[in-house]
Amino acid sequence: MEAELQRVGRSIHAAFPAKTRNPLRALDQKAMDLATQDMELRAALFRFVDVTPACRSLDDLARHLIGNLEEVDAPPPPIAAAMRMSGTKAGRAALGAAAAAGVRHMAHRFIVGETPWAALRAIRHLWEQGAAVSLDLLGEATVTQAEADRYAARCLDALETLAEAAPRWPERSVLEADSLGPLPRVNVSVKVSALSPLMRPEVPEIGRDDAARRMRPLLVRAKELDAHLHIDMESVDTLEATMELVFELLDEPELRDGPSAGIVIQAYLRESPEQLERVIEWAQGTERRPPLVVRLVKGAYWDQEVVEARQHGWTPPVFEQKRDSDRNFEELTRRLLDAWPHLRPAVASHNLRSVAHAVATNRELGRDDSDLELQVLRGLGDDLAAALAGRGMRVRIYCPVGDLVAGMAYLVRRLLENTSNESFLGEQQRGVPLEELLAAP
Amino acid sequence: MTVAEHATAGFRNEPILELRRAPARDSLLAALRELDERLPLSVPVLIGGDRGDAEGIDSTDPGAPERIVARAGRASEDDAAAAVEAAARGFRDWSARPAAERAEVLRAAAARLRERRLLLAALQVRECAKPWPEADADVCEAIDFLEYYAREAFELDRGRSLYQAPGERNTMRYAPRGVAAVISPWNFPLAIPCGMTAAALAAGNAAVLKPAEQSPGSAGALVDALHEAGVPRDALALLPGYGEAGAALVRDPRVHVIAFTGSSAVGLEIVRAAAETPARQGHVKRVVSEMGGKNCVIVDSDADLDEAVPEIVHSAFIYAGQKCSAAARVLVHEAAADRLVERLAGAVSVLNVGQADSFATEVPPVIEREAQERVLRYRELASDHLAASAEPVPEEGWFVPPSLVVGLPEDSPVNREEIFGPLVSVTRVRDVDEAMDVVDSLPFALTGGLFSRSPATVERVAARTPVGNLYVNRAITGAMVGRQPFGGNRRSGSGAKAGGPDYLLQFVEPRVVTENTMRHGIPVE
Repeated sequence: MEAELQRVGRSIHAAFPAKTRNPLRALDQKAMDLATQDMELRAALFRFVDVTPACRSLDDLARHLIGNLEEVDAPPPPIAAAMRMSGTKAGRAALGAAAAAGVRHMAHRFIVGETPWAALRAIRHLWEQGAAVSLDLLGEATVTQAEADRYAARCLDALETLAEAAPRWPERSVLEADSLGPLPRVNVSVKVSALSPLMRPEVPEIGRDDAARRMRPLLVRAKELDAHLHIDMESVDTLEATMELVFELLDEPELRDGPSAGIVIQAYLRESPEQLERVIEWAQGTERRPPLVVRLVKGAYWDQEVVEARQHGWTPPVFEQKRDSDRNFEELTRRLLDAWPHLRPAVASHNLRSVAHAVATNRELGRDDSDLELQVLRGLGDDLAAALAGRGMRVRIYCPVGDLVAGMAYLVRRLLENTSNESFLGEQQRGVPLEELLAAP
Repeated sequence: MTVAEHATAGFRNEPILELRRAPARDSLLAALRELDERLPLSVPVLIGGDRGDAEGIDSTDPGAPERIVARAGRASEDDAAAAVEAAARGFRDWSARPAAERAEVLRAAAARLRERRLLLAALQVRECAKPWPEADADVCEAIDFLEYYAREAFELDRGRSLYQAPGERNTMRYAPRGVAAVISPWNFPLAIPCGMTAAALAAGNAAVLKPAEQSPGSAGALVDALHEAGVPRDALALLPGYGEAGAALVRDPRVHVIAFTGSSAVGLEIVRAAAETPARQGHVKRVVSEMGGKNCVIVDSDADLDEAVPEIVHSAFIYAGQKCSAAARVLVHEAAADRLVERLAGAVSVLNVGQADSFATEVPPVIEREAQERVLRYRELASDHLAASAEPVPEEGWFVPPSLVVGLPEDSPVNREEIFGPLVSVTRVRDVDEAMDVVDSLPFALTGGLFSRSPATVERVAARTPVGNLYVNRAITGAMVGRQPFGGNRRSGSGAKAGGPDYLLQFVEPRVVTENTMRHGIPVE
C-alpha cells in the first residue's frame, strides 16, 4: 500500500506543469514569498487587501496601504520605497492605482468571474482541459432576509446559467460517469449561513428551518436541471444546523430520487470521525438515489476556531498540530472509501501525500479510479488539477464567483493559507524534497 | 503549595459554557426545572448571626409577572444601622487576618459559585429575564471577580517600593478603610454585587450589601456562598430592600466606602450625601460610582459592515439593551450610512423577542413595568424616525419591541438621555471628527465603539475619546475581568476600573512609614 502510494505520488508529481509556464504566476509568487517571510508584513498586507473594497478613491487606497505598512517595524526595501511615494498626492494616486491593480490581479487568481455568466468561458476552458468545476457564489455575510433571498436567487441563476451552457461542452467521459452511473455536468456549492440571517450556534433548529425553506427550491430546481448541489461546511458554529438540514431535506419524498447532492467533512475537527459515521449511517439507512457525495477537506477556518475557543477558555474543536489533521485525513479517507457505494467519495486536498493516499487506497480496495473524485481550489490547486487530469483522474476545481467586496473574506482566507509556512503548498514552494512531501504524517 | 503561592497562582477567566453544544444547553434546562421547584426563594435580612424577616419584597419574573421568584425582607433604616454596627465589629477580626487567608476565603466562595453555576444562571433567567448566554456569563464574571481580587489583594498587601536614601527606610503599605456599603443594580444581579463586595472584603474591609429590590434572590445566593466559604457573619451583612436602607447606609457616619453601581440620579445623590461630614465622623467618605452611559459606536467609511452590523445589533439589543455598556447610538460616515441603515434595519427586524428561558431569545422583556413604560415613551418620541422594529412582541411580560430610529435631531432626548432599553439611534456624520464631536458633547463617557480598518483612524479616536472603554471592530459589551477593566469617566462614573489592577485602591488607605536607621552613627543596615 505505502509503496503504491509513493508510486502514485511520484507519478502525479511528474505530471505537474513547468513552474514558469505563466510569467504572471511567477510575479504573484514573488509577492506571496515576501508575505511568507515576514509575519508582520503579511498581516499588514492582508489587512490592506481586506479593506480595499471599502476604499473610496486611489488616494484613500494609498493611505490605507501606508497606514498598514507603518505598523511593520522594518519594512523590506521595495515596501519602504513604496512608502516614500505616499508623501505627495500624485505619489499616492500612483501607489493606489498599483495597489488596486495588484489586489485585482490576486483576486482573479482565486475568483473565476464576477457572475456565473462571466465565468462560463473559464469554466468551459477548464472542462476542455479535463477538469470539472463546482461553482461557489461568494457573498457578504447574510444578516437580513433580503440578503438571504438574494443569495438564493444567485444560486438559482448559477444553476440555470450553467445548465443552459453545459450541453454545448464537448464530451469528457472521465468527468461524466463513475461505475455507479452518470455524474451531472453542472455542479454548484452553496453555503447554509448565506441562506438565512437566523443562524445561531445555540439554536441550530431556527437557522436550519429558515435556510431549509430556501434550500428546498434549489434542490428541486437542481433535480429538474440534472445538476449537483453541494452543501458546504463552514465553522463549527453552523455545523449542527448544516448536517441536520442536509439529512432532513434529502429524506423528503420529493427529493428521494435526486438531485445529486453532497456534504462536507472537515478532517481538522476532532469530532470528524463521529461526524463521518453519522453520515455513513444515514446513507446506509436511506433509499435515496443517487448516493450522497462526501467531500473530505482539511478545513478552512482553523485560525478562527482556535482563537474563538481560546478566548472563551474552551478546548479548540480542531487539531492543533498539522500532523494530527493529516493523519486523521488519511483515516477518514479510508473510512469514506470503505463506505462506497453508499457514498461517493470526493477527496479535496492540495497535499500530494493525501491525494496519493486516496488514489492508492481506492485501488487497494479494488475500485476503479473513476470511483474517486479529487478536488482542488481555483488559484491554489491549478497545477495539481492539471497533473491529475493528465493522469486520467477525475478532478473538480472549486471555483468561486463574485465581486471583490463579496470575495474579500474568501480571498484573505486563501491568502493566509497560501502563505502559511505549515501549508503543503508552502513547503512545495520552498523546495522541500519529494520524499519529505510524500512522507507519512 | 503554600497558602501564599496558592493565592497568587495565575488568573484565568472562568470559561463560559459552550452553548453551541446540545448537552451544555440541556444541563441549563435541567437546572431551571430544579430551580422552578424551589421557587419562591426566601431571602431574609442578614445581620451578624441574625436572620431577619423574609417578607416585604417579592421579586417576580419580568416575562411572567405573576411568578414570584424570591420573597425577601425589606430592610429598614434601623436594620441599616444595626448592620453597620455589626460590620464595624466584624471589621476588627476580618482586617486582622493575613491577606493570604482572606484571599483563600474568597477563592473558596468562587468554588461554591462554580459548583452552583447552572442554578445561579437559571435564577437570573427567572428573576431578571436575563437570556441564557448572558446569565451564564454573569455567573462566570462573579467567579472571576472573586478569583481576581483575591490575587490582587494579596499583591497589594506587599506594598509599593519607594526610593531609599542612606540612613532611612521607607515603606508604603495599604490598610483597609473600614465598613463598605455596597449598593448594587439588578442588571448583573450576581456579578456586580459580587465584584464590589469581593473587592471590599479582599482588601480587608467589612461589607454591607444592599442589592436592588428587583433581584434579591441572586444577592442572597452570593452572600450565602461568601458566608459558607468563611467570611464572618459580622463582616458581611445583607439588606434586601428599597432605597430607604441604601440611603441610611450612605448617611451613616461609620461607613467609610460606598461602592455604587446604578442610575445617574441615585449615583449623584449618593455623591452629594456622602460629602456631608458631620463632626462625629472621623473620616472622609470615599464613593466608588458606576453610573449611566449614552454609548456611541462610530462607523467609518472603511468599516467592514459584515462585522459591524451583527456586532452593533448585539451591543444594542442583547438583554434588551439593559447593560450600562450597551450601544445607544450609531454615528456613521455618510458614505457608509445608506448601506449600514439598510442592513441594520433588516437585522433588527429579524431579532427574536421572547422569554428568557428559550435559547432562541435574543431580546427578552425589560425588568419591570416602569422600565417598559419609559422605553416606550422614548420610542414614541422617535416614532417619526422609526426605521425598523421586531414586532409583534408577546402580550404577557414587560416586552418592548427592539427598534432602530434614524436621523433624529441631535437635541432629541432620545439622542441625549440614557434609555436603558432596546432602542438604538443612527445619526449620519460627515466624518469621524464630527462623530467625535458628538461623543464629546454628551455628558457620559462609559463605553464607545469604532469600526474602522485604518490604523491611523483607530489611533486618532483612541487618543481623543473620553470613554472609559473603547472597543475597536467588535461589540462594545462583554468586558472581561482582568482583560478589559471596566468603568466610565465624566458623569458616567468615578473612574475606578472594576476587574482591573487599580480597583482595590478605592478600598484601602495608603500609609507610609519612614524610619531613621542611624543609631548614634551606627548604621543598622
